[in-house]
Amino acid sequence: MLLELQSVHGGYGKKEIIKGVDFHADHGDIVCLAGPNGCGKTTLFRLILGSLPLSDGHIFIDGTDIQTLSPKERANLIAYIPQYHTPIFSYTALEVVIMGRASHFSAFKMPKSIDRQAAFHALEKVNALHLANRPYTSLSGGQRQLILIARAICQSAKILIMDEPAASLDYANQQRLTYVIRSLAQNGYCIIMSTHSPEHLASLGSLVLLMKDGKSASFGTSSQVITPQNLKQVYGIDMDVLTVTNRHGAKRTICLPV
Amino acid sequence: MNNSEYTTNTIQRRKYRVLLFVLFAVVLAIFLCSFWIGYYPLSPLQVVEAFLSKFGYSKEILPQAVTIFWNIRLPRILSAAFIGASLAVAGSSYQGMFRNPLVSPDILGVSSGAGLGAAFAILMGCTDWLVQIFAFIGGITAVAASYLISRKSAHSQTLSLVLTGSMIMALCNAGVTMIKYIADPNDVLQQITFWLMGSLTKTTMKSFLWSIIPMLIGLLIIFLLRWRMNLLTLDEEEARSLGINIRTYRLIFIGASTLLSAAAVCLGGLIGWVGLMIPHMARAFVGAAYERLIPASALLGAGYLILMDDLARSLLSMELPLGVITSIMGAPFFVYLIIKRRG
Repeated sequence: MLLELQSVHGGYGKKEIIKGVDFHADHGDIVCLAGPNGCGKTTLFRLILGSLPLSDGHIFIDGTDIQTLSPKERANLIAYIPQYHTPIFSYTALEVVIMGRASHFSAFKMPKSIDRQAAFHALEKVNALHLANRPYTSLSGGQRQLILIARAICQSAKILIMDEPAASLDYANQQRLTYVIRSLAQNGYCIIMSTHSPEHLASLGSLVLLMKDGKSASFGTSSQVITPQNLKQVYGIDMDVLTVTNRHGAKRTICLPV
Repeated sequence: MNNSEYTTNTIQRRKYRVLLFVLFAVVLAIFLCSFWIGYYPLSPLQVVEAFLSKFGYSKEILPQAVTIFWNIRLPRILSAAFIGASLAVAGSSYQGMFRNPLVSPDILGVSSGAGLGAAFAILMGCTDWLVQIFAFIGGITAVAASYLISRKSAHSQTLSLVLTGSMIMALCNAGVTMIKYIADPNDVLQQITFWLMGSLTKTTMKSFLWSIIPMLIGLLIIFLLRWRMNLLTLDEEEARSLGINIRTYRLIFIGASTLLSAAAVCLGGLIGWVGLMIPHMARAFVGAAYERLIPASALLGAGYLILMDDLARSLLSMELPLGVITSIMGAPFFVYLIIKRRG
């Protein structure tokens, strides 16, 4: 198993926000983290990324407890893709991607040709090669999200943690992003993403972890987890889970409040 | 790999190397030409002869020319170059580290803090190296106070850092006024007042050599670690996930930048605005990436301050304080920055 969480507890100082989360994921899995606002998704990410200490439980990557890893070793295993943002200074897209190579050379060195090659390859993988020399600040939200994914790829970690990647993207960009995420999973990456619409990626055959009050409420394939009962338990309102058929005959699930 | 983006990138990197070389040549030219300028005019030939006189050149030469070259102009021009480079590099570094394009050693209160520390040391009759140490302590206390107080603020980080910086500056200036008030008017008061104006008139080879050591240390640290500075401009969570120990780097960069600012203050007094202006000018030339920004800032800062000191020496029949000239140039630039950020 690539990533395994065993009754993980943790939070800020004495305040415990995550009170027992269990799940596991392997190469090629997409895990969607869903739950009401304030259920602890962001805190759980911080625990997995190691920027907050666990107060109890274990997180294993390939059988190694992450608490024994240095920041550099951890960066070679897990990459974080934040929501796209506006940086203070106007870097080119390529310069942003190359920042992902920080754990690959020592502090006094500059990025070399091999790092630039890795960055170009990563940009190619997310179909954003044509953006390489454009200022990152001039790109649209969807394009910036792709650049940040490319940065995570060239970090050469196998687990990608994405913080609501689809938030504030329009339909076309959401679809482009879905395509990229799916192809990454097919290439063996393990993707953990938080989302407010878990059914959005359900059609990709992803796993879903429903969370409530810092605990895992249910975990499994989307058809197992996304049921009216589970959603009511987590969100506290009646929900309909509907299956619709698109014009090509493919089935999709949507959730709607009653 | 064969694609146009790759080629574009290669061309851009080559362009940068050419640009840096041109910049270096221009700064060198400014440096050399500055020896002619001053109250006592020296011709280019006299400059060369005065220079050679130290190396056994025995042709008849005015003794004043030799003294002016070696004891007055050389330390002064070198000081201008290194103060300019130090303030510009410290400014670039503070801007990246605090993720704030509006800060610089003077705006953060570092320069005033260092000034207060140094004035106190002068009042106490300390030796040169103790003055340096007190200046550093004053500077690092000021930047720590600015940063820690601004973090408690509910306002935007960009603005609150500028505000707390000006508060610290006011406080330090009050301290300096207090020191001036109790200082001996015949001796120490004059020394402090004159030096705080920001002037290179009294620089000697000895004072230059005292300051060059901390400057070289600071410049070297930031130069070597310059690529990592890019990572500090990211969100803290993000930077950590890239595998760097962000706290350690932040401390190193704050230490090095403050060392540079304090040494600059010890040598030339309060010379404002250089640390704010030059990094922005350098970005316009070479872009935001720190691996290029730091060398470009150092060169531009050096060239700029030598030029401003030339103006100070030659604009009027009497000499103008350098700090006055850099403020006249810098204040409008700050206004431009604020307005530009809105648009």
